[in-house]
Amino acid sequence: MLEVKNIHKSFAGVPVLKGIDFKVEKGEVVAIIGPSGSGKTTLLRCISFLEKADDGRIIFDEYEHEMKNVSRHDIKKLRMQMGFVFQSFNLFRNMTAFQNVMEGLTTARGMEKEKAKKIADAVLEKVGMSERADYYPDELSGGQQQRVAIARAIAPGPQVILFDEPTSALDPELTGEVLDVMKKLASEGTTMVVVTHEMSFAREVASRVVFMEGGVVVEEGKSKEFFANPKEERTKQFLKRTMRN
Amino acid sequence: MSNRLVEILVSSFMKILIPGIKVTIPLTLLSFALSLVIGLFLALVQVAKIKGIRELARFYIWIFRGTPLIVQLFIMFFGLPSIGITLDAFPAAVLAFGMNLGAYNAEVFRSAILAIPTGQMEAAYMIGLDYPQTMCRVILPQSFPVAFPNLFNNLISLLKDTSLASSITVIELFTSAQQIAARTYEPFALYLEAALIYLIFSTFLTWLQRWLEEKLVWRSKGFEEQNNTGRAKPIV
Repeated sequence: MLEVKNIHKSFAGVPVLKGIDFKVEKGEVVAIIGPSGSGKTTLLRCISFLEKADDGRIIFDEYEHEMKNVSRHDIKKLRMQMGFVFQSFNLFRNMTAFQNVMEGLTTARGMEKEKAKKIADAVLEKVGMSERADYYPDELSGGQQQRVAIARAIAPGPQVILFDEPTSALDPELTGEVLDVMKKLASEGTTMVVVTHEMSFAREVASRVVFMEGGVVVEEGKSKEFFANPKEERTKQFLKRTMRN
Repeated sequence: MSNRLVEILVSSFMKILIPGIKVTIPLTLLSFALSLVIGLFLALVQVAKIKGIRELARFYIWIFRGTPLIVQLFIMFFGLPSIGITLDAFPAAVLAFGMNLGAYNAEVFRSAILAIPTGQMEAAYMIGLDYPQTMCRVILPQSFPVAFPNLFNNLISLLKDTSLASSITVIELFTSAQQIAARTYEPFALYLEAALIYLIFSTFLTWLQRWLEEKLVWRSKGFEEQNNTGRAKPIV
């Protein structure tokens, strides 16, 4: 459904992505793992055009194009089919939780207020934030903010949701509530790409795992196989170090 | 204090206050409104990085910040007639003050826009908003509370700077004081009186600022019962 081929990206001459191929099929939950600085987040940001890739192709359903010269109009159309959940939530601080969710429906997609309200109520319910719908982001805890951010991302019914380290900015005791919501989405067949340091999430929830290091994909595979029998030496080392507990 | 002086002060008070209310205040408010429009426009074209127009905006700011206000007033009122544009004193003053302060407010707006974290803009893009929608719905509403104290600072400066309009024949607060001082030979007392009236006006503005700032804090419904997140009330 969504595929990128041979992505290259450098920042100030330093290569961060060195020819990445990445693909996600409908209904898949793909976890992207790897050490800091391996390019995981950059990959996600290139896919969503928050960064412009230096080279590479994107294929989204019928659409196929060179990534470096996709028009602004096409970028907007592609983004309409993607949801994005940021590490730092990025809820609109001038809007309540409810208004945050409504914005993508009414302003961006021109949906009628009544219809949008039903959807907003439903997704806030799904993430367990109905009671806090009228609170501003500054009045919510990090975990609550991230759950609202997930509601905002899923409300328009995008084909795929991209998560950029959704629990990394949270206190340890708050990661659970966010991971629970993500598990729920996964069990409903939502297509998800998750950059994460949560190995247990990658192992238990993801259907496929991609291990990146130094701007390349070192190894990928079905989640169960990947964790049971990692093939590459580097993968074994990484798993050993991160799965000690 | 002699009886004569007291009499002069009392009888002149209204003669200075009335032009203050009728001329100084409208002059201040109209100029300020113009400066907000110019300032916001100049800030937006700069942050939008529209080539060409951005350079024009910078040129404008360079000129209007780089030359004295009184020189700009003189050019507007005494200079423009030489090239066939004749303005009455009051509109000339509004234009000069508004265009001058517009350059300063442009920087206030620009810095307030840049103060909003880029994550806000990225989130707006990712839910499908385009650039104008992102500005109108997300960035500017968050920028106004940031810009507000500096804008009000400039408004209070402007209130006092309008006394310069006396030099291009606008009969405002300070001009009236000057005229009475010349007639009565009591410059010390009358200029103190003029200063007092300016002070009264700016005190009102200070109160207005406090009141508006409280209104501008985003309504935080249910904050009291929810105070358990341990987060401070947003001070914006």
